[in-house]
Amino acid sequence: MDEKNTMKKFTNSFLTISTLLLFSACSSMQVTEESVADQSVAGVSLATKSTATQAVLANAVVYFEYDQFNLTSKSIQVLKGVTELMRNNSKITISLEGHADERGTREYNLALGQRRSESVANYLIANGIKRNRLITKSYGEERPLSLGSNNLAWSKNRRVEIK
Amino acid sequence: MKNLLLTIIFLMPLGCLGELFLEITKGSEDPYRIAISPFDGDVRTSNQLHNIIRNDLMRTGEFSILDEELVLPIKIKDDELIYSDWKLLGMDYLITGSIIKTKNSIDVNYEIYDIHKKKKVRSSKVFGIPNQIRQLAHYTSDGIYESISGIKGIAATKLLYVNETKNSKSISAYKLMLADSDGANEKVLLTSSEPIISPSWSPDGKKVAYVSFETGIAKVFIQDIASGKRESVLSKSTQISSPSWSPDGKYLSLTLYQDGNAEIYIMRLQDRTLTRMTNQFAIDTESSWSPKGNKIIFTSGRSGSPQIYELDLRKLNPKAKRISFEGTYNAKASYLPKEEGIIFVHRSDDGLFHIALKYKKENFIRVLTEAKMDESPSVAPNGNMVIYGIKEENLSMLAGFSLSGARFKLPASEGEVREPAWSNFLR
Repeated sequence: MDEKNTMKKFTNSFLTISTLLLFSACSSMQVTEESVADQSVAGVSLATKSTATQAVLANAVVYFEYDQFNLTSKSIQVLKGVTELMRNNSKITISLEGHADERGTREYNLALGQRRSESVANYLIANGIKRNRLITKSYGEERPLSLGSNNLAWSKNRRVEIK
Repeated sequence: MKNLLLTIIFLMPLGCLGELFLEITKGSEDPYRIAISPFDGDVRTSNQLHNIIRNDLMRTGEFSILDEELVLPIKIKDDELIYSDWKLLGMDYLITGSIIKTKNSIDVNYEIYDIHKKKKVRSSKVFGIPNQIRQLAHYTSDGIYESISGIKGIAATKLLYVNETKNSKSISAYKLMLADSDGANEKVLLTSSEPIISPSWSPDGKKVAYVSFETGIAKVFIQDIASGKRESVLSKSTQISSPSWSPDGKYLSLTLYQDGNAEIYIMRLQDRTLTRMTNQFAIDTESSWSPKGNKIIFTSGRSGSPQIYELDLRKLNPKAKRISFEGTYNAKASYLPKEEGIIFVHRSDDGLFHIALKYKKENFIRVLTEAKMDESPSVAPNGNMVIYGIKEENLSMLAGFSLSGARFKLPASEGEVREPAWSNFLR
């Protein structure tokens, strides 16, 4: 066998491995021969998006209790102001960006952030704002406002940013 | 390619980052005692191989390796090995080897001798090109591990994880990383200014799926490792997350937020058709397939707190069965490779998060870690090791343990690392 040629062929492909399992005649000794393969890797770099957005009209944050997505009375005070603003500016759409603190699993927190965003949306809809003016989304625990692993930081991170 | 989401692709110089550092903190109490003699041939290569093999074997927690200085190079002409001397040293196995290096190739030959049975139990050759020393070492480690333990080794498998670094202005850069199972040989698969989460391997190890926020919301992408080609899996405007590949590679389970709430769907990759699997007011997410592909487990908040549920895909309109009962937070579960149990994140009564194991046969859970915020467990394909994310002094890093009791850590050389995903067997 021309080993060098074989190797070249194998080098760039992944999982192309020849394994020979032989058993010698007189004992249970295992004899193997394997060519090593490593995958080639292409790295991708995403270009940074332009962050030009519309001027911020509504800019408010509401906060939530641990593991919860229901609105507190304080949140409702904030949302009354947002409702007013939406009524007075009938053309604006707003995004409701839900977030969670770092405790718990990332995907569950993504879903929890979404529930918080939907809670805010449901309040606004109940107060006469059309659904198509609201964009709900979640960043889960990926975009903390406050770094640190303590109650104060966590309470700031469980939020919906209205913008 | 036509459906490829338009992104600007650069080929990155590879291996430009520092590597994770392996730090073995604890081993098993009744290990195999082995000696590895310096391999014949180029001394530098022999030392390199030795270090990698030693780390691979130590990380399993199942080996005690005789101090290198005590082992002299041995030239053995077949059965001349003096077994009684090695027995006197308390060894169970002796490994010898040789390296043949040319300009274009390296061959590693190694032999394993069973000191108690007084015979050679393995004679193997692994070969590759000169820059594949790490792979040659991992293949050798796996051969040694398999011969001695009878279990398939995972040294030649790979890890995916997410790296986050911050610049001087505290602006984050996210990278999806690929590395050898020991954290070495790091390569960047994707760089983005937006978060990347939930990496998942295709079963053949050629592709990865993950969630990227590059469009402003969570979207699942599939990327080919060798070519860098990537595409968004669905053109829907909804948020999509939590991808998990079926064991046959034909399906992805996903979480879709079509009506605002997280629900689990199974997508056939061939034509991207979706089948809805959950329909619940509560959160349903974090799906993961059983090894045979006939069940999925997932996290649901339907009982009022996150708990683990199982769906039998063989049934028509399957009903989710709750399978976690201890505590008020059990999430992100995955099956052990023989389906003998599940590994998941468990919140203890003190509010701290740990990695826990529940065997099918047992009616209690085993909490396996003791830090504060342990997350994202991923089981090695041989079922003997788990890698997961921890937080130490506010920094995320990776840690692992073997079910035999060994522990190790893989701190990042730069920034933070999290969300490890262990590949399938690749050799």
